[in-house]
Amino acid sequence: MTTAALVHVVVSGLATGSIYALVAISLVIIYNATRTLNFAQGEMLMISTFVGFTAYQRLRLPLVVVLLVAVVAAAALGWAIERLIIRHAISATHFDVLILTLGVSLVLRAGAGLVWTHDEFPFPALFANRPVALGPVRVAPVSLGIIGASLALMLALYVFFAKTRLGRAMRAVAQNQRAARLMGISVERVYSASWMLAAVVGAVAGILIAPVIFLSSKMGLVAINGFIAAVLGGFGSMPGAVVGGMLLGVLENLAPLYLPSGIKYSVPFLLLITILLVRPGGVVGRAVRRKV
Amino acid sequence: MRRAALALGLVALLAWPWASPRYFVFLASLSVVNAIVAIGLNLLSGYTNQLSFGHAGFLAVGAYTAALLTTRWPDTPVVVTLAVAALVTGLVGLGLGVPCLRLEGLYLAMATLAFGFVVVEAIMNLDWLTRGNDGLRVPAARLGPWALQSDTARYYLVVAVGVVMVWAALNLARTRTGRALLAIRESEIAAQASGVHLARYKTLAFAISAVYTGVAGGLFAFVVGFLSPDAFDVFLSVDYVAMIIVGGLGSVPGSIAGAALLTVLNDSLAGFQSYRPLIFGTLLILSLLFMPGGVARAFRFLKGEQG
Repeated sequence: MTTAALVHVVVSGLATGSIYALVAISLVIIYNATRTLNFAQGEMLMISTFVGFTAYQRLRLPLVVVLLVAVVAAAALGWAIERLIIRHAISATHFDVLILTLGVSLVLRAGAGLVWTHDEFPFPALFANRPVALGPVRVAPVSLGIIGASLALMLALYVFFAKTRLGRAMRAVAQNQRAARLMGISVERVYSASWMLAAVVGAVAGILIAPVIFLSSKMGLVAINGFIAAVLGGFGSMPGAVVGGMLLGVLENLAPLYLPSGIKYSVPFLLLITILLVRPGGVVGRAVRRKV
Repeated sequence: MRRAALALGLVALLAWPWASPRYFVFLASLSVVNAIVAIGLNLLSGYTNQLSFGHAGFLAVGAYTAALLTTRWPDTPVVVTLAVAALVTGLVGLGLGVPCLRLEGLYLAMATLAFGFVVVEAIMNLDWLTRGNDGLRVPAARLGPWALQSDTARYYLVVAVGVVMVWAALNLARTRTGRALLAIRESEIAAQASGVHLARYKTLAFAISAVYTGVAGGLFAFVVGFLSPDAFDVFLSVDYVAMIIVGGLGSVPGSIAGAALLTVLNDSLAGFQSYRPLIFGTLLILSLLFMPGGVARAFRFLKGEQG
């Protein structure tokens, strides 16, 4: 294996990794607000991508507008799910909310199957797929495009959480809900905003990955790897989610080079079990203390 | 009154194969098998608050153990086969339970989910043993001189085992172990303060749950007669979670009701595959929002007791 070929593998690993990182971030946003895992994240991503696809097919909109349509649809969907279902279980245990989102994911996937069928659709690509030579190294523009777009979104999120009032309110709620409420933050509004923001980040990830893996009702399964990425980085931490996503993407792409090729699909799960056993707090996180 | 109802139920169970078409005998067997899994899962989730999305994996371990044992030694009595299936699955459960003690809630759910995936992958890749995706035909179970070849014979086997498992689960709550598990459900910290060895009992709950699912897996192999890895995918695990949510967490009769309800529903929706997850998902959401505690609590409520 030459260095150039290795770079190629690592770059495409980073591209998939960016998608995992975006999905991981969206899971962490919801976890920080409602302290639960959103099982429906992948399905929300899938539905918003499908809405964008329909807009593209029917109206022949340019792809940037398609992205915008998907984002708006995602925000509306996230808002509706939080407001109509999750909010009603606000006093329930995390356990119950987890299962609620599981129910939502079943309904969304079946609903998508009824509306758009369970077929696979080719999705128009924002970036070209044919590799170009950068010196001795050949990389696909689509990889660079995905990495670039994801990094831009992550930067925007960083600014949002660090500088804006709403972003700071969301961080406060993540730290301590009661204290946040006492400071005059409307926790309910933060809930809504978190679900909408998570849905939007997911929609962008969906539009970016759809040309690579095809658009289908099964697309939501990418959320499983997103979750594993979030755990790798220490669940609840956004920088951790980014590191975990990239790490998972690269390892998943490198593993078949050194191990039997059938192992690619088991890599994320073996990685998950290992990290949970060895360092449950994640590679960059630290152990969580539990209080009575 | 209670005894009369119980006797009536038992008579109905025994008379079922004579009163209904052959297919419904099979469906009833499947309901009982699922009820055993649901009881096992409920011991884990309802008693110690540990959610598992990997019970289809345990079911697969039990089913393949029973099937391989019967293929290799066709004369093994079915009781021994089921005991071995229970033992092997219980050991797997113990093996998974010990490391999983460090995890809770979300993380545990995810680790069990990963376990389910790994089991399916393992079955597919160990094709010299399990025949991988081609599937494995299961020979008839033998009990002494008889081969249990008809649906009715298999039904009686399943019902007999099911009654024993239900009886054991109902009585578990009255044993020292059962009380320890209930204490853990109410508050882990309080239970620990009262001298309950948290790690030991949580592992034990995992193992007992796996044993239940292993027995059910053995029965599943004989009832269905053909095993392939895609029968044990993650959606089956989700179905089991749905059964105990709809039936009622922590309730044995609830587990049975939930399992029977969803098995029959699943079957009647066989012609509408695309609507099935839609209806299951809606059922999950509605029962959590409007019927927390499931069928079991709704029933208690109707009887006039406070829920």
